[in-house]
Amino acid sequence: MVKADFVTGLALILVSLFVVFESWRMPRLEHLKVHPLSVPGLVPAFLGIVIFLFAVILVIRSVLAGGHRLALSIQATPRLLSQPGNQRLLVTAVFSIGYAGFLVGSIPYGLATGLFIFAFMVIFEWRRGMTRREYLRLGLAAGILAVGTSALVTWAFESLFLVTLP
Amino acid sequence: MAVLLENLNQFLSAIAGFLTPLALFHVSWSTLLGIIIGALPGLTATMGVALVTTLTYKLPPDLAILILICVYNGAIYGGSRSAILLNIPGTPANAATTLDGFPLARAGLAGKAMGIATSGSVLGSLIGMFFLATVAPLLGNYALRFQSFEFFWLAIFGIVISGHLTAMEDPMKGWIAGFLGLLVAMVGQEGIHAYERFTYGSTDLLGGFALIPAMVGAFGFAEVMSVMRSPAAEVVQEARDSIIPKLGEVFRYWRTIIRSGLIGTIIGIIPGVGEDIAAWVSYAAARRKSPEREKFGKGSVEGLMAAETGNNACVPGAIIPALTLAIPGSAPAAVLLAAMFIHGVRPGPMIMVESPQFVYQVVAMVFFSTLGMLIFGLTLTKPLLWVLAVPRTRLMPVVFVLCAIGSYAITQRTFDIWVMIGFGIFGYILRAMKYPMAPMVLGIILGDILDKNLRRGLILSDGDLTPFFTRPISLVLWLVTLSSILLSIEPVRRAAQRVAEAVWPRRLREEGG
Repeated sequence: MVKADFVTGLALILVSLFVVFESWRMPRLEHLKVHPLSVPGLVPAFLGIVIFLFAVILVIRSVLAGGHRLALSIQATPRLLSQPGNQRLLVTAVFSIGYAGFLVGSIPYGLATGLFIFAFMVIFEWRRGMTRREYLRLGLAAGILAVGTSALVTWAFESLFLVTLP
Repeated sequence: MAVLLENLNQFLSAIAGFLTPLALFHVSWSTLLGIIIGALPGLTATMGVALVTTLTYKLPPDLAILILICVYNGAIYGGSRSAILLNIPGTPANAATTLDGFPLARAGLAGKAMGIATSGSVLGSLIGMFFLATVAPLLGNYALRFQSFEFFWLAIFGIVISGHLTAMEDPMKGWIAGFLGLLVAMVGQEGIHAYERFTYGSTDLLGGFALIPAMVGAFGFAEVMSVMRSPAAEVVQEARDSIIPKLGEVFRYWRTIIRSGLIGTIIGIIPGVGEDIAAWVSYAAARRKSPEREKFGKGSVEGLMAAETGNNACVPGAIIPALTLAIPGSAPAAVLLAAMFIHGVRPGPMIMVESPQFVYQVVAMVFFSTLGMLIFGLTLTKPLLWVLAVPRTRLMPVVFVLCAIGSYAITQRTFDIWVMIGFGIFGYILRAMKYPMAPMVLGIILGDILDKNLRRGLILSDGDLTPFFTRPISLVLWLVTLSSILLSIEPVRRAAQRVAEAVWPRRLREEGG
């Protein structure tokens, strides 16, 4: 965790410096004769400074605990990816972002939703050495869940809540 | 006395107002849905309330808030099912429940454990409801004295206390999460001069990040990823004994019930802390006071009762500051607060002036949700077991579909889907690095309050900082805030302990002297 804290601390220092810089650049609105202490950049600058202080403490603390010795290596990546939990996480993230970020809005909503649910279920329930019967059962279950959910959600949001679907 | 009678009268009128077939229908399905959401590991109360908010847009405000409170209360209770049967808390609020609930189930007393959890949740909810009815009007009237100086400190106090209590091992991570939430709230048009901050020409960012998509992401998408990453859980226990609790067994622990109810409510009132801390503190207090403390962690009925009473008492407790100060007591209460604004209800100090009857309507909503919890909790044992058996590979894609469409449905912008995705990834990373989510959510809500009130206060005092530190309420708030920060520094805490020991020795404290 100390290594993660070190990296987070550095990232937070960058973010806070950016926020303070941007706050400084915000207009003082002198031409509107506004009170100098009501300027828009005041509170973001205050927050930026507080986060900067926390981030510096985080970095110092992690350096004292040896967190700056990151020891990054290319070899660690395949090891991380070979862990089943990380593989499931990666597939979930890719499928979910692919569906919500790209598929929705590009093809009809019901179709996108059905495809996502079908693919999600099949990829996670598929096992090596499944019999033909098991394949059929999985395909059927995934198909029913995909069609049922897609139809129900589309109907509920479109007809019941009067939402124009993407 | 006259005030109490007047309060009771308002409460009974509110109860009568909801005694319609439509309202009772909504109470039934939403409480049941809440219990199911809570029971399913990975679906939290916050996520449930956020998702169901998107289904209530077209409903009148009273019914919409009724549904959300039923989901909220039901979910906190429902989490005890998986805690008892799977040894996995359905929501973070039920983590303390696993300590004694699961050993009871393993000993073949799953039915008894579920009955005790139901009794504790119902009684806790009723205790919290009592304080909601009595404290909220008082706090609402008192809050009318608050000015910009007090609201500024209230925002900082909320972030610091929430950060401290939700990240006990490393409070600084809680504070960082809270201040990041405040920073997120700075994006968009500010409320005094209408200047566009951090928008960089994007019209989507003009209104800032909407709270519901952000919450759905941080609690929904992040949870979906988290559940899929962890190994699959299996139902290892089932109830063979009776779930109907014996009254004698329940009321034997009346001291624990009242203590846990009080602790839960008080923790609920503290901004942004929430039900999980309420359960842990109630559990720890019960263990300290119990003559059977050696049984705790090995299947203690008292421990289970304390945890479940504490977390459900926290629900009405968390609604108290949300209603009267527009500052939520927990993460689900934050979504509830956002939902109130969406439905045109204006919580805050003016609520006791503008719509005092709404406060009693909320009390009645808690009452109906408690009733629903009792009925469904004691009758639907088998169907809830089936729900627990639904594989995550079938549940999670459906949950994510709801996350996406729920975020989109509010303003019908695909931008909000990206907000949900962004906050989901951000929330997952923060959680993996032990940054609590509750202070961040509180920060997003309090950002606007902090921004406007710091600047207004400075204008009112013409740049003089003295009123921020000398007005009585401000003085208390900044002193508590500063103490919380200082006491998290190890040498300062040790010095404070030495001073406390010198002034009031432990021996005297234990003797009650």
